[in-house]
Amino acid sequence: MKLLLIDAKYKKRIRLSRKALDLLKKFRVVALYASVQFSSKIQLVVEQLEKQGIKVVSSRPARTKEKYQILGCDCFSGNLKMKETPDAFLYIGDGMFHPLALVLQQKESSVFKPVVVFDPISKKSSVLARRNVEKILRKYKASLMKFISKETVGILITTKPGQQQYSAALSLKRKYPNKNFYYFLDNNINYSSFDNFPFIDVWVSTACPRIAFDDSLHIKKPIINLNDALRAEDVLSRLRIN
Amino acid sequence: MDYDLELGKVVAHINKIKAKNVLVQLPDGLKPHAKKIIDAIRSKTSSEAFIWLGDCFGACDIPLGLQSLKIDLVVQFGHNAFVKEAGW
Repeated sequence: MKLLLIDAKYKKRIRLSRKALDLLKKFRVVALYASVQFSSKIQLVVEQLEKQGIKVVSSRPARTKEKYQILGCDCFSGNLKMKETPDAFLYIGDGMFHPLALVLQQKESSVFKPVVVFDPISKKSSVLARRNVEKILRKYKASLMKFISKETVGILITTKPGQQQYSAALSLKRKYPNKNFYYFLDNNINYSSFDNFPFIDVWVSTACPRIAFDDSLHIKKPIINLNDALRAEDVLSRLRIN
Repeated sequence: MDYDLELGKVVAHINKIKAKNVLVQLPDGLKPHAKKIIDAIRSKTSSEAFIWLGDCFGACDIPLGLQSLKIDLVVQFGHNAFVKEAGW
């Protein structure tokens, strides 16, 4: 079976609004990212920012194919692979899933860099701060504590080839030889299915990492991501919540 | 339609590889345009075209079990290539 990917590029010109420029003018260095529909159409935005004396930086994050492109799963510190430290982020695109990755990847940062969002379709702009993920991070902190203290752990492994991380999940067993790990397989993770396994104290997701962040508030039991489980005590000590 | 669906490229690719059964997979925002895509494939190729009803979270999320329907090409819209890394 073959695969053809059509990224459905946005066809229109993208120009920042006056309000968006006003939100950005106080920053000296801005890191620019966009979803794939918009990432190749932002040269005019770069020119607008540079005309305001703002230095524009970016990168090709860990799981993307193009510079400026951000994916929802690049939500961990270091995933952006940036060489320079910005004063703020600018995200171009519609929806909040992608820009929230830019907020979540700062969950251990001592100084939070605001994320300005500009939607080229509605022309609306907004600013995301740590408070936008505060509820998620409070639950996440509690989940990390449970993971550290409890013994019976359910590891969620998806059969989706792009998300399947069984080999990486095995490193948990080596890291925590005193815990009991049970491996659960499914394609889509159905949260109500968790109730059928009451013996599990805490879940570790090795599927899409946004499950253990964004969806965690709909999941009764504690849930954390594999990366953070592997360094749970360190993450717990560094986690920043308002 | 503000997004380029590149239907010419899709049709040319299907004809080039002589795909017989094509699955079109779309993120929710593009699902309303499925008819336009399927109609183009049906009118300009000799393939049968199917629409994936369920989720399409990204290029990490290609449907499984398509062999039973002899699907020989998946065309996923809205995403580009995904670079898989160990762990997350």
